Amino acid sequence: MTPATPAATDLLGALRGTPALRPHVDRGLAGGLRAWLEDGLFERLGARAAAPIVRVTPRLLLDDPPVTGAATARLRGALLVQLLRLRVAGLEPASPFEDAVAALGASGRDAELVALLCDLDSDDRSRLAAEVAAHHTVLATSLPSLPARWSPRCGVRYAIPLAGGAVVLRGDVDLALGASGGSRACVCLVDLTTSTLGSASDATLAYLALLETLRTGEQPLRVAALSTADGATVVREVTSELLADAVELVLEAVARSAAA
Amino acid sequence: MTVVERLCAPTRDVLLARGSSGPRDHDIVSARLASQLAARLTDSLGADRRRHRLDAFAAELGPARFDAPFAWSARAARRPIGSSVAHDVAEGAMPDALSAAASEIERLCDRAQRGLTRRGALGGWLADAPRAARALCAVEASTWAERLLRLVEPTHDGSIAVGIADAWFDVPGTTITLQGRLDAALRPAAGAHLGLLRVRDGLPGARAADGLVVDALVAALAGRCPTRMVGAWPDAGLCLVVDFDDDAARRAARLLLACADALAAPSAAPSPLEAMAA
Repeated sequence: MTPATPAATDLLGALRGTPALRPHVDRGLAGGLRAWLEDGLFERLGARAAAPIVRVTPRLLLDDPPVTGAATARLRGALLVQLLRLRVAGLEPASPFEDAVAALGASGRDAELVALLCDLDSDDRSRLAAEVAAHHTVLATSLPSLPARWSPRCGVRYAIPLAGGAVVLRGDVDLALGASGGSRACVCLVDLTTSTLGSASDATLAYLALLETLRTGEQPLRVAALSTADGATVVREVTSELLADAVELVLEAVARSAAA
Repeated sequence: MTVVERLCAPTRDVLLARGSSGPRDHDIVSARLASQLAARLTDSLGADRRRHRLDAFAAELGPARFDAPFAWSARAARRPIGSSVAHDVAEGAMPDALSAAASEIERLCDRAQRGLTRRGALGGWLADAPRAARALCAVEASTWAERLLRLVEPTHDGSIAVGIADAWFDVPGTTITLQGRLDAALRPAAGAHLGLLRVRDGLPGARAADGLVVDALVAALAGRCPTRMVGAWPDAGLCLVVDFDDDAARRAARLLLACADALAAPSAAPSPLEAMAA
């Protein structure tokens, strides 16, 4: 599915879809995917019980070198995530930058980023505040309000151990909506980014869908990415083909990592 | 002491059945074991007048040495608030977790403003925090509560109680407090065996079962003796179930004693705080 402009896309509407048309949860799918991963990892790694742990992340999946010198980009991303959380709580930030800074400072996480923020000079701080305000405008347009009955969860983390703990699939989702446990799939995952969406988005979304399936035993309904740089969104239906692609990506990434 | 089962993404019924089964024909934590434990803890730390809290984290990782004093944050506040939220939602007192979290935060702030909280309590911190920090706490707590509620899916038949109080046991005559972390109680029917469940972040470590039996022992000392203890790691979609039998109770007691001995022994390496003071 190609990225769409915000004017053409109602993200929440696209995620919700038509409830009656939602697919049934396939209870055997998670077990099958796990077995496929375990077999594939054994073929690639062998019985390396003492091997160092391979941590699979979206970045490793894409064979993407770590970004250096992007401290302000990380700060911008962290602040936008805080603004998303505030919006989920029903708070309409009067001053997005100041509210995001207050939330980041109170989060108890990202101490390094909080220190970095304190060290910014006034020019950099003003520039960052302007960027955050602009991104927040896009966020507010794309996610105007989230009903509490959709059970929104923020910062959902995944750490799925495989191969006896030698491989750990890690990831986190900025926003999860919908409750699991029913007969039909209804959980939607949203990945927020402050950069533009590229070809890597599909792989990241497939990976997140795989993590959610392994973690809960139920495949999610849809996964989406939202760029606050331009308001573009990608929404993907979670199908067995999408999850199979994710398994292949994980196995390739582990093989690459083990060979390196 | 063995891990009975390792469950991947268990359903509510599986969790309830596995978590509360197991044989029980006598009182696991005998009065003799409890008094021996208290006597040995008194030997180790009785002369030390500082307050000590021993828990499953200490048993698994050794007595924790923190490089900064405790401070409230949204992360630290999510479980105390989230526990109330899960309880209110499970009881049907609130329609959803987010509303319950906002209501609980408002209640805590109100108590603080009326001077009903002690110094350093969560309510005081929330009352003084900016609006954005309180909103963040609501989201963190509701996310935490949703995680627990999705795991155990409590119903109104009383088989699963969520948002229960932790187990606390003050060792008589000392300044030692034992804490058992508890998030849900599993009892499929009246008179059936009790299973207790606690939730943690991340992945179960190599000594996860040790932590579980310590929580079970403290619960037993506090009067809630389980037949099985369930550890849930929702990030990993994993649950570990351990039997709480005689062996497990003795092992948990030995682990607590080892912690106390480690706290009593002078440390070779100073903690960062001690190093700064020096």
